[in-house]
Amino acid sequence: MVTQYGIKLGVHLMTNQFGNIVAKVCESLLRRGPLTLQLIVRFTELTPQQVKSSLLILIQHNCVQAFSLEQQDGLEDGPKANTQYLALFNNILHRMRFSKFLKIVSSEFDECKELLEGLLQHGRLTLKQMVEREREKSSKKDGNCEDIVQENLLKLLAARYVERCPIHEPVLATPVKDETTAKRRGAKSSKRNEESETIEQRVLGAAAPMDAQRFSIITNTGSNVSRETSVGEKRKYDALELDRESAVEEEEVVLLRANFEEFMCRLRHKACIENVRTRLDDGASIVLRAMLEAVRSLEKRVKTEKSVPLSLNTIFEEVMNSEEGRGMTLDRVRASLVQLGCSSSARGTDESYSIDLKKIVELAQNDEVESIVLKRYGRNAYKMFRLLSKTGCLVETEKISDTTFVEKKEAPKMLFKLWSDGYLHMEKITVAAARQSQFLLWKVNKPSLQEHVLDEMFHAALNLSKRVAYEREKEKELINLPADKQVMSREERHKRRRNVAFVLESSLRELDDAVMLFHDFEEPSLLKA
Amino acid sequence: MSRLQGPSSHKRKQPEPNSASGSLTEHERILYHVIKSKQNMGIWTRDMKWETKLPDYVVVKSLKSLQAKKLIKEVVNVQNKGRKHYIAAEFEPSKEITGGTWYAGGNLDTEFINFLQKHCVKIIYEQKVATLEGILDTIRRSRAFNVEFTPQQIEEIVNALVLDNEITEVESNGMGEFDSIPVGTVCYMCTNKGGRKGEPKIGAMASIPCGVCPQISLCTPDGIISPQTCVHFTKWLDF
Repeated sequence: MVTQYGIKLGVHLMTNQFGNIVAKVCESLLRRGPLTLQLIVRFTELTPQQVKSSLLILIQHNCVQAFSLEQQDGLEDGPKANTQYLALFNNILHRMRFSKFLKIVSSEFDECKELLEGLLQHGRLTLKQMVEREREKSSKKDGNCEDIVQENLLKLLAARYVERCPIHEPVLATPVKDETTAKRRGAKSSKRNEESETIEQRVLGAAAPMDAQRFSIITNTGSNVSRETSVGEKRKYDALELDRESAVEEEEVVLLRANFEEFMCRLRHKACIENVRTRLDDGASIVLRAMLEAVRSLEKRVKTEKSVPLSLNTIFEEVMNSEEGRGMTLDRVRASLVQLGCSSSARGTDESYSIDLKKIVELAQNDEVESIVLKRYGRNAYKMFRLLSKTGCLVETEKISDTTFVEKKEAPKMLFKLWSDGYLHMEKITVAAARQSQFLLWKVNKPSLQEHVLDEMFHAALNLSKRVAYEREKEKELINLPADKQVMSREERHKRRRNVAFVLESSLRELDDAVMLFHDFEEPSLLKA
Repeated sequence: MSRLQGPSSHKRKQPEPNSASGSLTEHERILYHVIKSKQNMGIWTRDMKWETKLPDYVVVKSLKSLQAKKLIKEVVNVQNKGRKHYIAAEFEPSKEITGGTWYAGGNLDTEFINFLQKHCVKIIYEQKVATLEGILDTIRRSRAFNVEFTPQQIEEIVNALVLDNEITEVESNGMGEFDSIPVGTVCYMCTNKGGRKGEPKIGAMASIPCGVCPQISLCTPDGIISPQTCVHFTKWLDF
């Protein structure tokens, strides 16, 4: 879902990090969908050179992916003219999350933190560049540096935190062509987002390297060429390719980058575990963590609906492996699984359990929205909203006020307010014969509500971020004031600045967790009811 | 109530004009018929006027006289408290008119509801896991109320508590705390997770000014209301 404020936030992030020109190019891509170089030049009114270098920066930082359409007729001039550039909204947003990614890596492999930091900072790096960076930093002997970098890189590749960059310009089959033209016409309709989703998925799918290749590099350690793969499958393919490719790739530069997908997967698990801890108890969260840990390497997509089924014994073993889990008995684990609403499928004598992660994400989303309703509209609105959210269908005003014990006079007013702010859906029904001829029916329309809430969250994130910049400006002005006009002492000012920065930045970090809940943790196709 | 609506009301139908209402004027009789025909729903004065086509002053006068003769009574209509609503004396106003069990005199009896809700929460808290029957049984035995509650009434109260997030609905799995409750039975437990009682954990969005701002739709980066000029922000960041 790319909402209006989502685009504004993305452009703001780009402006902050790469300046106005790059942001302008990025904005026109976000608003209009994939464009060719000529069209970008026309829409942005920048010089071709400016656009070109902006695109290079954006590609370097994984915010734009180029692709071309398969030519069928000779109408177009040449293959070059057809190269289109697609802004990757998700990757732009991920730039807010770098500190979270770093935290994940440093908790697992502290020694690899700097390597990842370099990749995040520069977008894409070759092994050679990484070694050079390390050398500059440590001023150690050459051989040593290379070994360290390689060793760390292999760890990150094995954990899938780092991946090979996608193909520069994948070629897509023609059907996309119709979609792009249709898209340009209805640039502002919400349908556009759905369509670009499919294009984005197609482009990314075509650009992604094969799984076996994706998490491997060729490391030239002395005489023998060693290759490391983290993915168990496709080994056969790998072996076949080894000979053919190793020769070619030794000259070819292998570009590496952080694998955002894996980080998002980790963050999603973390969010689910946290939610379970607050909603249920520590035991349930320990069990969930153990289960997710056990299937980690098997999970392929960020947004898996259900975790891979595990037997009770495997779960119990994994629970015993963690420090907090050692005190748990088998019965306790089983009770926690029931608490988690695990669907157990008994095959023969083996009980196997899987967890409905989608459900947990949904519950967390509900909590978030309900708490907004409670704080913004009060307890009565909260009760009515929860009723509608729980029933999921149209309910008449009278019935709502009866069930929630809200005064019959107040209920319609409040419902109307929620409706006008985009939190409820309303339908009027007119009955000809009855005394009361008009009835109002209300409903929580999940898909549109989620889009609305997400847009408000993007808006709020943009506001926080803008305020951070504003506070910084204000601080600069204060410093430049002559000494006799200073209101606060230096220490006071310093303290205030620290507090303000802390509140704004931690709020932004937490708000981003909520954004992920609505934007990254749920399959968009599932949202469409 | 059923006794009144039953044979007795039927029996009364005929003798009425002769006995108590024998002295009714023509206008009063017409009006009384209209009101009575509406049974327990009663009728609003304006609808009476429209149906009987009688002039205003006649209606007002007749209503007064009918009321004095105790043939009709005025009731408060919860739908519209300002409207004068009449119903024949032998009927009890319907749920639509009174608002149902939880209404008293046309108003939601919040004091009573709150008291009953608190009582239910206390029972659930003490029992840790409670079923509807369990709650009803405890209320009956405690004799805290001099009214008999039906299971449906208690269910209404408990459901509202669930919506309030004071308690949570869970299904018994027959294990641990649920061992005395058949599997699949709906049970209730107190929700006081995440700190303060009754208050759910405040979400990330709801903890910042923008999350609770009613003006968020009017706020734009360079508008009159903007993050730079926002008073809520200034207040929030006032250290």
